[in-house]
Amino acid sequence: MSGLGSFLAAREIWQTPLVASVMAGALLGFLGVYVVLRRTVFVSAALTQLSTVGLVVGLFLEERLHEVPEHVHHQLGMAMGFAVAGALLLGALRPRRLPAEATVGAAWVAASAAVVLGISRLMHASHDLGGMVFGNAVAVPDDELWMIGGVALLCAALHLAFAKEIAFASFDPETATALGMRVRLWDAVLSLTVGLAIPASARALGALPVFALLTLPASAALLLGLRFRTVFVVATLLGVVAAAGGYLASWFAETPTGATMVLVAALALVPGALRRAKA
Amino acid sequence: MATPPTTTLVALRGAAIGYGGRPLLTGVELLVSPGDFLAMVGPNGGGKTTVLRSLLGALPLLAGQRELPRPLRVGYVPQRDHVDAIWPLTAGEVVLMGRTPGLGPLRRPREADHRLVAAALQRVGIGELAARRYGDLSGGQRQRTLIARALAAEPELLAVDEPTNGMDPAAELATMDVLRDLHAGGVLAVVMVSHRLDAVANYAHTLAFVDHERGLFRVGSLDEMLRPEPLSTLYGRAVEVREVGGRRLVQPVFGERP
Repeated sequence: MSGLGSFLAAREIWQTPLVASVMAGALLGFLGVYVVLRRTVFVSAALTQLSTVGLVVGLFLEERLHEVPEHVHHQLGMAMGFAVAGALLLGALRPRRLPAEATVGAAWVAASAAVVLGISRLMHASHDLGGMVFGNAVAVPDDELWMIGGVALLCAALHLAFAKEIAFASFDPETATALGMRVRLWDAVLSLTVGLAIPASARALGALPVFALLTLPASAALLLGLRFRTVFVVATLLGVVAAAGGYLASWFAETPTGATMVLVAALALVPGALRRAKA
Repeated sequence: MATPPTTTLVALRGAAIGYGGRPLLTGVELLVSPGDFLAMVGPNGGGKTTVLRSLLGALPLLAGQRELPRPLRVGYVPQRDHVDAIWPLTAGEVVLMGRTPGLGPLRRPREADHRLVAAALQRVGIGELAARRYGDLSGGQRQRTLIARALAAEPELLAVDEPTNGMDPAAELATMDVLRDLHAGGVLAVVMVSHRLDAVANYAHTLAFVDHERGLFRVGSLDEMLRPEPLSTLYGRAVEVREVGGRRLVQPVFGERP
């Protein structure tokens, strides 16, 4: 049987992970525009690590409490709790004597250390966690697919309903505040959507591809010099292409899924970079 | 010129203003009426913007009262370098943001909003730049875009923070002339902040000298404030005001201290 033939015959295996990758790619590509334009790329890295801390804590509790392992809702709930709390806290904490980068760096490095410590204490699930951190969308349970779909729908609804408020509060918070807008509320809505999207996607795709999909498609779209609204459309499409293309490429090339997604996403930067070089 | 109504737009009464519970200035008395042109002048970091934010209600008072007899439509022009030019927004899209607070959530801009945006860009003389990227505009054009955004809110009070910062003299004059022309209608109140008295001495009707390091907050008419005593209080040295070609020039007197 040809490569394509065996691929189509194995539809049962790749169908759900591919759909999950497409949804996560679209969601992260869209949200990434705000992540990049607000200059909070490393906030998303810290949130990805915090969501992994949530997974570790969930796994740790399951082992200690002798619950059924791989209880997806429990782990995702913990990951979302950590990521949303981190997003809201990092948005709210603005120490006057420190640059914002220092707070974000502290959150990232503390979360990374907590993940390493957590893995060292896990008896059975440390291998699974490696897949969650570096990306392994080979097997995605239906539960996770529904979770990503639900989060994507919620994020789409919030961003559709409050697009102009989120955009204004992000672009020029000083003026928005002076005009009586509740900037903290709109920041919190954005933080909530990013804080939910990261763990929902990271559980299926892994932390590394999530970070890549939050930054590279948006950066690629911005490099193309497009209009504001078009940037969101193109970043969403590039997120889909990177996630689905990376998944398919890894299938045929038999390479690690997460790393392949990251490389495909990085390739999306090339047209914009060439355009800038010519300009 | 239309005669402005005499009601108060907004006032601070015995206000203590500052951040984190620490007052920068206390006992601040400031009143803005329709048609006023008030300039707050003082050194960088002297507390001018803090007073402005307190006046607009964006910063809670630590003590005293902010009087607002009725809901106030405000247009706000931030310092140009506080607005990130990396965003891929056109000048028109930036100006349309001025309609956002008035529209409220879940409502999309309509044709009337787009007409107001076009009119606001025309009023500041850059109607032809609506489709240009904000980040590709010159400093002066960006400043006009931000003023147009404030106008799109149909304000009764236009608050402007350091509008001529980092501009060459020609762009500075052009920007100040735009503000003068907008104010000339007689109803719009303009409150602006500047660290350069020179830039506002030919436009404002009322001056406030602000420097929290010396506990200074003093308000008066232009004629009252451009006299030797208040000026030396602000600058800590003798200052002279000269008229050259019909324009006032404010200069420290070399070597003289009070």
